[in-house]
Amino acid sequence: MVEYGDIRVVYRGGSKINFRKPVISNDSRFLLCASGESVKVFSSVTEECVHELRGHTGQVTGVLLRPSNHLQVYSCSTDGTVRLWDFTDGILVRTYVVGYPVYSIYASLNHKEVVFIVTPVQSDKRTELFQLVAVNLPQTPDQLVEARDLSAVLSDVSSNPSTIAFGRGGEYLASVNNLKMEIYFFKKNKSYSFSLREYTKNGGKNTFTCIACHPKDDCVATGHDDGKIRLWRNFKQKKEYTYSTLHWHHSAVSSLCFTPEGTNLLSGGVESVLVQWRYNQENQKDFLPRLGAAITHVTVSPDGALFSTSHSDNKITIIQSCVKVSAVIQGLVKGENVTTGLLVDPRSKALVLNGRPGHLQFYSLQRDKLLFHLDIVQQEYIHEAGLEQFEVVRAAFDASGLWLATVEERKQKSAELELNLKLWSFDEQTQSFVLNTTVSAPHEARITAMCFSQAADSQTTTLVSASRDGHFKAWQLGLPAHTDDEGPSWSCDFVGAYHGLVPRCCCFSADGSLLAVGFQEVVTVWNPTSWELLTTLSQPPGDVRNLCFGQLSCSKYLLGSNNKKMVCCWNLLTCSLEWSTSMDVSLLLVDSRSENMAAFCCQDGSTDLFVFKPSEPRPLFSQKAVCSGRVIHAVFTPREVMLESSEESSQWLNRSQLYFLTEFMDLLTFSTKAEEEKLMASSKQLVIDDTVAMTPFYLLLGKHRHEHLGNEESAERTPLPQSSVAIKELLQTPAHVLPATSFLCSMFAKSLLISVTETSHHCFLSSSVSVVQISHSLYRGALSLTFSGVFWCKSYKEFKFYPLKIAS
Amino acid sequence: MHFAAASPPDALLRMSTTDRTCATVACASSVTEMAADGGSSSLHLPCVFSPKSRQYLAVCAQDGRLRIWSTDSKTLHQEYVPSAHLSATCTCIVWAPCRTVKEGPQRKKRKSEAVQVEAKADLLAMGTAAGSVLVYSTVKGALHCTLDGGHSGGVNCVHWHPEDGLLYSGSEDTNIVEWDLQTGKTRSKWKADRAAVTSLCVSPDGKLLLSAGHVIKMWDLETKEVYRRFTGHSTAVTTLCFATTRPPDSNGLYFLSGAAHDRLLSVWQVREDGKDKNSVVSFTLTGEPRHVDLVASNSKEEAVRLAVVCEDGQLHLFEHFLNGPCKKPLSPSCTVQMSDSKASPMPIPLLAAALAAETRSVMLAYGSHLQPAMERAELDTTERHVCLTRDVQTSLSVSMETTVSKVKTPIVNAKSRVLLPGLPGHQAPLKGPSTGTEKRKKDADTKEMSIAERLHEIDLSAVSGKKGAPKVEASLQTDNFAVLLVQGLESNDANILNKVLQTRQETVIKKTVSRLPLPAVLPLVEELTKRLQGHPLTALPMVRWLKAVLMHHTSYLASLPDLVTQLGVLYHMIESRVKMFHKLTRLHGKLYLLMTQMATDDRSNAVSEVEHTAKLVYEEESSDEDEASGDEALPQDDSDHWDDEEEEEGMDEEEEDGSDSRTEPKTNGDEDMEHGNESEEE
Repeated sequence: MVEYGDIRVVYRGGSKINFRKPVISNDSRFLLCASGESVKVFSSVTEECVHELRGHTGQVTGVLLRPSNHLQVYSCSTDGTVRLWDFTDGILVRTYVVGYPVYSIYASLNHKEVVFIVTPVQSDKRTELFQLVAVNLPQTPDQLVEARDLSAVLSDVSSNPSTIAFGRGGEYLASVNNLKMEIYFFKKNKSYSFSLREYTKNGGKNTFTCIACHPKDDCVATGHDDGKIRLWRNFKQKKEYTYSTLHWHHSAVSSLCFTPEGTNLLSGGVESVLVQWRYNQENQKDFLPRLGAAITHVTVSPDGALFSTSHSDNKITIIQSCVKVSAVIQGLVKGENVTTGLLVDPRSKALVLNGRPGHLQFYSLQRDKLLFHLDIVQQEYIHEAGLEQFEVVRAAFDASGLWLATVEERKQKSAELELNLKLWSFDEQTQSFVLNTTVSAPHEARITAMCFSQAADSQTTTLVSASRDGHFKAWQLGLPAHTDDEGPSWSCDFVGAYHGLVPRCCCFSADGSLLAVGFQEVVTVWNPTSWELLTTLSQPPGDVRNLCFGQLSCSKYLLGSNNKKMVCCWNLLTCSLEWSTSMDVSLLLVDSRSENMAAFCCQDGSTDLFVFKPSEPRPLFSQKAVCSGRVIHAVFTPREVMLESSEESSQWLNRSQLYFLTEFMDLLTFSTKAEEEKLMASSKQLVIDDTVAMTPFYLLLGKHRHEHLGNEESAERTPLPQSSVAIKELLQTPAHVLPATSFLCSMFAKSLLISVTETSHHCFLSSSVSVVQISHSLYRGALSLTFSGVFWCKSYKEFKFYPLKIAS
Repeated sequence: MHFAAASPPDALLRMSTTDRTCATVACASSVTEMAADGGSSSLHLPCVFSPKSRQYLAVCAQDGRLRIWSTDSKTLHQEYVPSAHLSATCTCIVWAPCRTVKEGPQRKKRKSEAVQVEAKADLLAMGTAAGSVLVYSTVKGALHCTLDGGHSGGVNCVHWHPEDGLLYSGSEDTNIVEWDLQTGKTRSKWKADRAAVTSLCVSPDGKLLLSAGHVIKMWDLETKEVYRRFTGHSTAVTTLCFATTRPPDSNGLYFLSGAAHDRLLSVWQVREDGKDKNSVVSFTLTGEPRHVDLVASNSKEEAVRLAVVCEDGQLHLFEHFLNGPCKKPLSPSCTVQMSDSKASPMPIPLLAAALAAETRSVMLAYGSHLQPAMERAELDTTERHVCLTRDVQTSLSVSMETTVSKVKTPIVNAKSRVLLPGLPGHQAPLKGPSTGTEKRKKDADTKEMSIAERLHEIDLSAVSGKKGAPKVEASLQTDNFAVLLVQGLESNDANILNKVLQTRQETVIKKTVSRLPLPAVLPLVEELTKRLQGHPLTALPMVRWLKAVLMHHTSYLASLPDLVTQLGVLYHMIESRVKMFHKLTRLHGKLYLLMTQMATDDRSNAVSEVEHTAKLVYEEESSDEDEASGDEALPQDDSDHWDDEEEEEGMDEEEEDGSDSRTEPKTNGDEDMEHGNESEEE
């Protein structure tokens, strides 16, 4: 690390945003969610990431609005700290060191400066027991505070945060775990537990999955594995509890949530339908179907204006309370596994990989933002466990980005494999991909590799697909068919095989003149124009895993790695082994802009990187343990602007960038000092006061306030009787709870009159009924006109002057 | 709208602005009309790409709404309706320089920390005809602040200070106002010209300000005093921008200006000695410049790259080394036009263009202001004139929503080809033994010749046959068919072929094929192959023909040297069609078993009911009855189905057999056929 100090691995995004329940701020403008080791603050209107709260050193496991200050947020992490942030400015306010890994965090209004956290029981690490602990957060101005004042509340809880909820503003706490529900009353310091039998008669599983407490009522809703929702009531006694059952979901309810007023209950599950149940009229339901993927969490904003659902495809949907989707925050989708690998679309420079079932995702590396999903399969996805559906498993772009080849397959148990190879051309006129050719069942077994001939100036475009059926097929773009309206389409040009061995990888040389196909242990080199087998290259035993032709000046080399921890480099001019070395290379990739190659070596959990030129014995760059976890895919992406770094160790990053994806779905890259300095220099900070918020109301009120201030300075005014209790009450109580104006009027007028009488020797005014009558009518007029401050001021004045006039 | 050079500028501008507002209102009321004429009217609507990465395109369309389009996904990102969008139309849009997201105070560089993410384009300022400046934040998706009370006339131009949070606006009321965005108030205000200020530009170092009414003035921003004056334009200057980043004291500071109704962009040099009375270089255009984007040069060795979109919707690209005066007006190095893909192409107006770091790629916005299309185009800059053809959505939807769904569906139309196993192209074309490539060609030639010859002969013979028609009435039919078939094959006449090939009578087929001249066999096989590739139902009769051909002409076919290539397609197809046959027969067998069991089960149940009443009468008889009725019931249930199945099976078997050019009568269907044939032949 020291010698390569100017190169560092940087995190580029792509991490999970659906890991924990997001939190919506009180004004519904921001949505906060845990994402890897940070908390991301998104704008709920524009889907943009406004801030990223960084500081935790472990995975963030929970985000919680501070009950006493709605502009601050707590976050907890497995690094054993709870941090308090100001999320509007993105500033870390305080760090509380708890000392034990925290798995979730709760708080309630009833408990001032106390948070409840779930930590593992320390005595026994193997059994994974968790307990709920109350932590007293000391109020000190220090940045770093030790919070050691812990007291256990409940033991044997689940680490899943949706299994614990506070009821009625913190009077009680309900927790579910497996088949047991426990309700703890803080006042009585007593807990009741209820348990269900494991299986109901119909064979449905009764296990609890989630819980939600009604905010106003003594009611607890629990979700179950079989899709049932139970509403528990009267649980203050151990014996006489009752529950009613709601059943719509066909499989496990993953999240439950009451709206802040308790009028509705929201639930979601694998069906990807948000269900809104009317509280007390549960037969009335609203649905928001087709949300795209299984719902993992449901949240409601504190004012009830927005709902948000997290989905299993790393997406957060923001829904208005009228059940209309208003925004989608989409992260990098992790499919069950990234079978297509990482590709770069030469046209849009976006990273392409398979994401949602049946789709390819295009992800902008510059902006860490998902651009769109390309619907390849074009079939409705049915959300049902155990149902096999078409998945995109392979994809390839040609060098110009004009052609995209995709392979989709469906494998059902004890059924034939269904395979489709689709070739899409990019149509410039419509700026969209257009299906050119569909080949159904291109091979009899799974396709193991697919690649386009990368030569830019070749006459024909060739695609090679290798399959487990022991053949590789070459597909060529044919001439236009006999009928004139049809354009050119693809057809098979050659089927190759080698001794019935299974081809695992294939690769074209940079100029497209050679094709290398790795048949298990043998590398075969073919001529793509005549389809002659030119030579076979033997190597020490072991199946070939990766094959790469050298680029530019190293184009005479062919590199391969096998599963017996060997990397071999053949010289294609002599057809002999140039060098070989013992390295367990899991990924071997070539930079198309330079001679460099990168090899990721997997060694007991961590991955090492070597960057080298095939012609030179020493690596240009090597780094041990580039990241935690295995690197599963990597790709070189060409830079738009070349860097001019002179340092030898970072020269390999001048023309392209190396992105790699870890098993935890983090997208990482290398950045050099030069690059960062360049970025820093070019981006000047434009500080603009965010507090100049402009609302129509502000425009009205703020302007008058300014005028008001000006007036105060210039014109002399008698002080208003602002200290009067009656006025205060009148001004501060909300309009809709005020009693009738006629009732208030006399009181109000009186309170005003006192000040006058004080100054002018208690006159006849107090008894003057007519004055009150007049002021009454005036007041009503003022009230009915507007609530704005101007009129209040005016009415003060008028009240003040009227009595005086009459008096005189 | 032609103005003499002497016409008062005020009047001109007032005219044009009133014109503009009227036009705007008119256009807002008739969106479709606008779409029809492609939006290329005389009014100037602001349309600007965000700086640096060109992530967004901000457009203020005819309806007075601000729309932010995402250039990555090419969808509407945000829409903002200013509260007075119809009365106080937006006159200009300027993006603020990118700003980085504010970081916390302490920032240590740890491993695996985020990169300083590329600065985001966030704020944009809009000048309105009412005299206020609106600052909109794209990150928040809301109005950031309104800068009010500085101008008494409409704002014509806005420009951000490159570093500080300052904004300059020039207005119809001849003043320039400097706004402080920290407080949202005016910092200073001065009268700039006798006429309205129509254009503004701050130098890259932030020390100088260019303003233009009729006269271009250069102001020192510290003292707010005129530094230089440049005269030359006779009409209102609409475009001002600095072309170099060099300081003014090195004679290397240049700027561009363009004026209304002027088909020129003038370049001015700010000289140390102050002798900068005339423009040094001019670029010729085809219309008034509407949108200018340039990559400024940092040194003498670096060329200025310029992309100018003109009023007529064309884009001109220039590349020039700014180094002193140049007498000749420069013409563009490349001109880009767009047209739609209809039969009679209409031009599509370009709205804005932005240059990228790579010289070849240009970001383009084109189409209508209401629904612009964006594209990162790779241009062939070696050509002087480039014409791009694009499909532009001509029907605009009245209500546009920001796209919530992130799914794009690629186009799948009927034109796309489907390759099923068995169709040619799915497998590699089979090639015969490698020796015979030349030979085959010769063969083909000779064969074709012989076919022609023979066909002639056959024609003759057929004619002769017809002459003797009354004699043999019965055999005439088939004879006719053979002739017809040959004729059809030669002329490739679908009608004749259909007529012949759709016969279902075995005997007719057999006789036709047997009388077919040998050279016509291969064309027939090819025709049959083609027809077999179609729908299975239409392919069914072809199987009979194929069978007949193989029965009669196997020896001929086998004698062909390039048999493999000739019959390869057929072979592949049959192979793939019968691939599932074994499984199907197995399934058939299982189903059959199941069905019979079910049937017998049902029957036995029914019997048991009967038995209750008549148990003692007769046992043996009743069981007899059962069997009999059971046998009856079975075919009744699914007789149609079975028949079909068997027929298909038979066909499949035949195909297989035929392709192997062996005949082994195995299944029922075959036996039936054979039987039938025999009887016919008798």
